[in-house]
Formats: sequence, C-alpha cells, structure tokens
Amino acid sequence: MMEQIFSVTFLTAFLAAAVRMAVPLAYAGLGETIAEKSGILNIGMEGVMLSGAFFSFAGAFLSGSMSVGLLCGIMGGVAVSMLHALLSVKLAKDQSVSGIAINIFILGVTSFLYKLLSSGDSYKQIVPMGKLRIPVLADIPLIGSALFEQDILAYVLYVLIFAVTWFYARTNLGLSAAAIGENPRAADAAGIPVHLYQYLAMVCNGILGGVGGAYLVLVQVGNFSDNMTSGRGYIALAAVILGRYTPLGMLGAAFLFGAANALQIRLQAIGVPLPPQALAMLPYLITLVALLGSIGKNHGPESLSRPYIRGAR
Amino acid sequence: MNSSRVQRAVEMACIVVISLVVAAGLVMLAGASPIGAFQMFLKGIFGNLNGFGEVFVKATPLILTGLGCSVAFRTGFFNIGAEGQFYMGALAAAWAALNLTGVPGPVRIVVAILAGFLFGGIWALAAALMKAKLGISEIIVTIMLNYIAVNILGIAVRTFLMDPAGSIPQSAKLDASVTLTRFLKPTRIHTGIFLALAAVLLIWFIMEKTSIGYEIKVVGFNQRAAVCNGISVVKNIIISAALSGGLAGIAGAVEVLGVQKKLLEGISGGCGYTAILITLLASNHPAGVLVTAILFAALSVGANSMQRQMGIPSAIVDFLIGMVVLLILSRELFRRKAGRREAK
Repeated sequence: MMEQIFSVTFLTAFLAAAVRMAVPLAYAGLGETIAEKSGILNIGMEGVMLSGAFFSFAGAFLSGSMSVGLLCGIMGGVAVSMLHALLSVKLAKDQSVSGIAINIFILGVTSFLYKLLSSGDSYKQIVPMGKLRIPVLADIPLIGSALFEQDILAYVLYVLIFAVTWFYARTNLGLSAAAIGENPRAADAAGIPVHLYQYLAMVCNGILGGVGGAYLVLVQVGNFSDNMTSGRGYIALAAVILGRYTPLGMLGAAFLFGAANALQIRLQAIGVPLPPQALAMLPYLITLVALLGSIGKNHGPESLSRPYIRGAR
Repeated sequence: MNSSRVQRAVEMACIVVISLVVAAGLVMLAGASPIGAFQMFLKGIFGNLNGFGEVFVKATPLILTGLGCSVAFRTGFFNIGAEGQFYMGALAAAWAALNLTGVPGPVRIVVAILAGFLFGGIWALAAALMKAKLGISEIIVTIMLNYIAVNILGIAVRTFLMDPAGSIPQSAKLDASVTLTRFLKPTRIHTGIFLALAAVLLIWFIMEKTSIGYEIKVVGFNQRAAVCNGISVVKNIIISAALSGGLAGIAGAVEVLGVQKKLLEGISGGCGYTAILITLLASNHPAGVLVTAILFAALSVGANSMQRQMGIPSAIVDFLIGMVVLLILSRELFRRKAGRREAK
C-alpha cells in the first residue's frame, strides 16, 4: 500500500487531480476575494456556484455546445450575485442572512428545475470538456502534467490570478476598489462611487463563481445532481480567509482543499481499507483544521459585511 | 388609519400575490394546471386523516430544529449546523436505544433523548467555541460540521450500528418498548409532538422570563452594551449554541424513536436547513416558529401529494419558501419612494 502511494505514477496522477479539484474552488475564491475587498461578504457563494453548475448543465445539454453552457453558467452565477448585491448594497440587509437565504433558495430552485429538465428519471449526461496539452511544459516530471495538461479554463485561471493581483497592487482603480472595503466613507469623500464599485465587484463575483460551478459540470463530471456543490462555496470562503484576502494566498488554500479532495478520491480508488465516508469527510476536516490555523490577526477588509449607507452615521 | 400599518399590509399583499403567481407559473412549467394542482394540494392535506396527521409528523422535527436555530440566532450566532446536530442527535439516540438493552423501555427513551440533546449540543458547542474564543466564522464551521456529521452517520450505519441481519446501510429496528407511542392510529402522529410543544413553551419561558434569556438577547442586540453591563459574550454564545444544538439533537432523537424506528442515511430530510428559513420567517419568536413549522409541514405534505398525483417536483416548496424569505427581506422595494425615506 505504502509503495503504491509513494510511487511517481501515483503522485503525478494525484497532483493532476488536486489541480483539477482546486480550479472550481479557486474561481469561486477569486470571485469572493473581489467581493470581500469591496466590503461585501457573499455567504451566498454556494448558491452562486450551484446556479452556475445547473445553468451551465442546462445550457450545454439543451444546445449541445460547451460555450453556450459556460455562458449560461456565468449568467446563472451573475443573477444570484446580483440578488445578493440588491439585498446587501441597495437595501443594506444583514449579509449573512441574505447569503444563507439565497443558498437555500437556490438549492430549491435548481432541484426543482433539474427535476423538470431530467423529467424525473432519465439520466442526462454531456461530454465533458477536453484537455489541452501545452507541448514542452507538460513534459516536466511530476508537476508538468498537473499544471499544463488541463483544460482551457484552468489556464484562464492562471492568468486571472495574476491579473487580479496586479489590478489591486498596481492600478488606481484597484486601489479604489479595495478602499471601499476598508473605509467606504473616506472613499466616498474622495469621490469614489462606492455603491457602483460594489455592484461591479459583485458582477465579477457572479461571473467567477458561475464559472466555478460550471467547471464542476462541464469539466469534472458532465452531469448535474441536487446540491452537487456540496459545500464548495463555503470552502471557497474558507480559502479566502486562509489566503489572507490575496489572490495568490487564496489559490494556495484552494490547492490545499483540492488536494484533500483528490487524495480521498485516489485513496478510495486504490482500495484503502476504510469506509468511503471516512475518506469523503477529509476535505471538510482539512478545512476546519486549516481555519484553526488561520487565527490571529484579522486580515479582512475593515468594513467587511458592514453595509454602507450614504449620509448615515 | 396608521400609514405604517397600511404600508405593511401593502407589502404583505405584494408578497402573497407574487408568491401565488410564481407558484402557478411553476406548476404550469411542470405541465400541470394550477387549479387542479391546488385541489390536489388541499386534498393531500385535508383529504384524509393520514395526510392531516402527516402534517404534524413532519412539523415535529421542524419545530424543534427551528426553535434551536432561533435561540442561536438571538445571540447573533449563525447556527447553520442544525442539520449536522440533528444527525449527531439521531446517531446518539439510536445507539442508546439499541445498546442499553438492560434498561427498561421508558427509561431508555428518556436516556436516548438526553443522548440526542447532549450530542447535538456538543456538535454545536464545537462551533461556538471556535467562534467565541477564536473568532472563526461559525457559518463556515457549522457547514463543515454538517458534512462531517453526515459522513459519520454513514460510517455508523455501515459498521458498529449496522443491522447484523441486513445488507443495506441502516441500523436494526428498535424494539417496540423504546419507540414513541402513536396515539392517533392509523396516522403516524407520535408523542414527540408533545415534546416539541413543551419545548416551545420552555424556550419562550427561558427567552422572555429568565435572566439567561435576557442576557442572550442583549448579546445578540449589542455586544458592546453587553460587555459594559458585565454580561459575558463568550458565555452566552456558548450557552445559546449548546441549547440550539441540543434542540436539533432532540429532533434527531425523536425522528429515530418516533417515525423511522431505526437509523438510516438522509434521515433529516434536509430539515436542518429548512429550520433556518422557518426561523427567519418567524423572526426568532418561539410561537412564530411553531406556526411557521406547521405551515411549512402542511405545504410539504400538500406538495408531496402534487408530486405523486401530477408529477410536480416537491422541491417547489423549497423554491417558494426560499423566495418568500427573500421577498420579505426585500419588502422595502414595494414601498413608495416617500415611505422608504421615512423608514430610514
């Protein structure tokens, strides 16, 4: 058993699976980072992902096209994020209440619509997106195939992580977008349109969360099932905290959680003598333990989840 | 007439109208006629004694978990973990009921329910400690604990609690002496409903008439004010979380002892999540929880009948209830401009 685990073949396959499992978390985590930097805590990320997953499936299944599916997934995600933005920006509601209500609502919506779509019994499947091998890089031993033999969405993610890091560190707009999460009143006084930027951040949140959910369907499994995100939206929230609200840190945390998931799948595949449920809870356990490791200084934006009401004290 | 009262009536009317229109739309989307579906819905609830009894069977765990959530929400502890606490309670109760065979039936029932309370409470306590002592988001922690609890139950019904005589992942059947009495046969209504009603009274009493309840509410209302008045935030979060988890645990125990009479996967039917919506609708008030839980149970019994007879997915209830909660949250949108400014 041990030799099996520490072989190069196992490790290569494990790393590739870890990256694949991490990509949806990282998409959602990146979307959440952008929202939280603007001061909006989107607990509803689970719902954003679930909506993205369902609508991408519906789009791809009905049209037969991957890109239509992806587009539908994005729109599904944005719709949910906009709902949260409406409640938390326009109506200044408690963002935890809004997010949780949205998650349960979307669970009901997607389960209902999926039953209609699948007419209850028939098993619907789409052909998952293919891999795109990058010639030379993919030949690097151990990590080559993990990083450079993935699908196009994974490569887009690499670019996005650096783009978002650069955006917040090097552009005026990025500094403004982060300022509204720290001190919205000061930002407002400096002429930054706080609510507009928060809405824009939530659009990004919906797009990225929608892609994260769509990834589960279009790349990983090729079908939809009720509550298929099974907590990934919340794990993405944990990844943001653990990554100290930076895209790169978040990516690292997402990889850790992805690795936990890949490990349990791999261990089940090689037949470890443990009940599958004991392995299935591994990602959740790792998330809990990782959160324990995140204690100490709070790195979150100063005004996170505090609604900004113009003119109010 | 008072203008704010008019306003509230207008808001409520808007919400009711929107809900009915959406409900009719969804039914048509499912290829059925709204009127026929509504008849089937009512028939499911009032058509016979069994259906009507089923409302209270379904309401029992919802009342208990809803009460649990309401206690936690009062301190500002967002316990999204009723689902996991329900599972742990069910697991502990089933273990006690199956293994303490030397203890006479009625005593074993009490022990099993207490075990449910204890394990549900411990499960919530873990999250409360992480929140109160370490400042870790209880929302993420309780959700993670939910998935862990679901898997622990999955392990239990495949290993130490598996029915030795069977091959499906579930426990052996409880013997008759340790199950809750069904007093209105042929319905499945069992004595657990009295426990739920007693819990409503008890929680109302604790929250409104005791200093514990007062402190819990102060902490939820304004933590700073609580600290300034010598009320411990940490202590009250922990008390309310443990009580909250305990109630969800009792719900799990009652479901095992009263309805299923064995432990099996998916035993909660998602009631831990439904409880959150119920509590939000009832704005944390025990009597409100009672009424909303019964209404919700009636809705789902009616929806099951629509599903059986007309093929309308019963998830329509979750869809509509979730929507109602969101509509109530955003009810200000239905006010006229002037009214909104006044409200702020």
